[in-house]
Amino acid sequence: MRYHIIFRYAGIVLLLNAAFLFVSAVISFFNGDSGFFLLAYTCLIAALFGVFPFIFIPSTEEISNKEGFAIVVSSWLLSCLIGMVPYVLWGGEFTITNAWFESVSGFTTTGSSILTNIEALPKGLLFWRSATHWIGGVGIIIFALSVLPSIGKVGIVLYRAETSPLAAANFRYRTKKTMQIIMFVYVGLTVLETFALIACDMNLFDAITNSFATIATGGFSPKNLSIAYYQSISVECVIMIFMILSGINFGLLFVTLSGDFRAPFKSGVIKFYLVMLAAGVILTAVNIHGTVFEEWGEAIRYAAFQIISIGTSTGFATTNSNLWPPFSQLLILFFTLQCACSGSTSGGIKVDRTVLFWHAIKQRITKAEHPHAVVKAKTDGVAVDSDVLEAGLLFITLYIVIVFVSTLLICFMGVDIMSAFSASAATMGNVGPGFGLVGSVSNFSQIPEFGKWILTGDMLLGRLEIFGLFLFFLLKSWK
Amino acid sequence: MGLRAKILSGFLILAAMLLVAGSWSIYELRNIGMSVQKLLHENYKSIDAAKSMTEALEREDSGILLLLLGKREEGRAILQAADDSFHKAYETARSNVTIPGEQGYVEAVSKAYDQYKELWARSIVGTAQEGDLNWYFQDVHSSFLEVKRTVKDLRDLNDQAMYKTASNLEGRAHRATMPGVIAIVSAFIFAVLFSFVINLFVVTPIISVTRGIEKYIDTGKSFDVKVETKDELSKLVTSVKSLIAMSKK
Repeated sequence: MRYHIIFRYAGIVLLLNAAFLFVSAVISFFNGDSGFFLLAYTCLIAALFGVFPFIFIPSTEEISNKEGFAIVVSSWLLSCLIGMVPYVLWGGEFTITNAWFESVSGFTTTGSSILTNIEALPKGLLFWRSATHWIGGVGIIIFALSVLPSIGKVGIVLYRAETSPLAAANFRYRTKKTMQIIMFVYVGLTVLETFALIACDMNLFDAITNSFATIATGGFSPKNLSIAYYQSISVECVIMIFMILSGINFGLLFVTLSGDFRAPFKSGVIKFYLVMLAAGVILTAVNIHGTVFEEWGEAIRYAAFQIISIGTSTGFATTNSNLWPPFSQLLILFFTLQCACSGSTSGGIKVDRTVLFWHAIKQRITKAEHPHAVVKAKTDGVAVDSDVLEAGLLFITLYIVIVFVSTLLICFMGVDIMSAFSASAATMGNVGPGFGLVGSVSNFSQIPEFGKWILTGDMLLGRLEIFGLFLFFLLKSWK
Repeated sequence: MGLRAKILSGFLILAAMLLVAGSWSIYELRNIGMSVQKLLHENYKSIDAAKSMTEALEREDSGILLLLLGKREEGRAILQAADDSFHKAYETARSNVTIPGEQGYVEAVSKAYDQYKELWARSIVGTAQEGDLNWYFQDVHSSFLEVKRTVKDLRDLNDQAMYKTASNLEGRAHRATMPGVIAIVSAFIFAVLFSFVINLFVVTPIISVTRGIEKYIDTGKSFDVKVETKDELSKLVTSVKSLIAMSKK
């Protein structure tokens, strides 16, 4: 393992962070708020640490897969570390643990917060908080690689190390082209949503920060009441549309935008994703009508926003779902575990694996009926490789085990089971809010300190799809 | 980039981190000093003035009661002295408007006091008002309470501002110390990385070159040392190779 190579490429990521910190500092400067110095200072530290490897360490043509994984995980950890510095410098509600939690939650696009008064933060810091979503949403490495003019074979290894194998399979282009497509869709959606929100009378700052959080499926809003603050159906509709789009594979979105408007409807995964969301909205609306909301319009409005928000792993809130009946809460928990499609910015188990799971069950039933038959699971008419199927099922199992262990540990600290389970599931799926202490209109400030560290571990495991982080810590040979 | 420039840049980075952290800490400490000054000279001055105004009003009330009892000389003397004290304190408050909206509070005090003074400025002893408790309670006392309320409002405003400034001081103290802490941690990490890089790209190649030369001298085996960087060390390796090639001829 060549440590200096890891250092060099992690430096690129630090420079990317420095660029966003610079923008945040500029916003603070023009706004005349107290965030300028802390953002500028963090920008300087990130830039100096980023530039240093370029001076000393020569570039390399090739890196090994092991080095690729190490670079990816190091970049995520370093970004989270540098991301917490402005919070630590700001103080207030940010202890070291809280700052780490907020930073990891930002970069992993979880959107869980420890802040009780978000609006007390200076604008520059609020922008940085949203920017962490936007940097992390598309993948820190992909973001960094896509802005570099040429990175050769190194880029391919890094791209493969960061991207989910399921997502990579959806792209049929060269690595550089794929990254360009992802960035094109990502930036395009963000710009479109920003304009749409401005058209709904939202101010520019809120429009940009909320767009960052939507497209990255993060959930950090600059307002204490999240999207409920705006009390606007048009704002909610715009955000719902973009949440759904952000949960779809970006490659598929690109193909659709390129003229093949039928493409999404040919994909079994997308059909499943949309049908599940629609079913979730209808069932929840029926369940909360008469029990929580008297009017059908209100029931549909709040059910749609909440289900789409959780089902795409965004985590925005327009109402307190803690007060909803158990059936609706269980539905939300299902979406907290499943989330949206691979190849999007969404977290969780992902629809693709849920589809694989059903195919595996069907395959097993057929096999039980016809023991000698050669039965292959198929998606969209294509046989699924047994390795892919096995990896998918193993991922689901491991995912549930981690959520269970995390719940167990947090319960041990005296937290009630609903809060502990929903917090673990919501952080592992990079969703954001759960139920109980960590409900849609509350925050994670009441979780014990050590519990917050466990939850940040869940966030990173979820974002790096478990195996990435496991590999980093379990690399047999670091020499 | 040459070795000298590389090493210099490493130290410059370290210096930049510490310099900025130090400058920021100084800036924040200066701000703390200014906040304390503001606390003492602005808010506390107004609070003290409000306190003096309240005391003067209390004395004026006593003076009015003496007039009601027919004691003109004693009553007027107390009223005159209290009125002077009130005006002095009011002037202090008027010239020390520092909080948004404070001007309105000061004007309200002046307006209420003028109305109050109008009641006791004219003659009381030897008129219908002497001994008239109904007049005192209905007109004078209610006017007295109104002035006291406006003065209390002014004092509360400054109290709140003082509390806010004191709370900000806590945040500023945190912001004055944290850059130093971050700079120390960053400088330590940087020093470790710098040492690692120097070891990898300067010390290790020098050791390799030395060993390669010694091996050539001892065994005559070819000098085969590779240096990744393009600096003085790579030139040294090239020169050594040329020297060996020349010595072989």
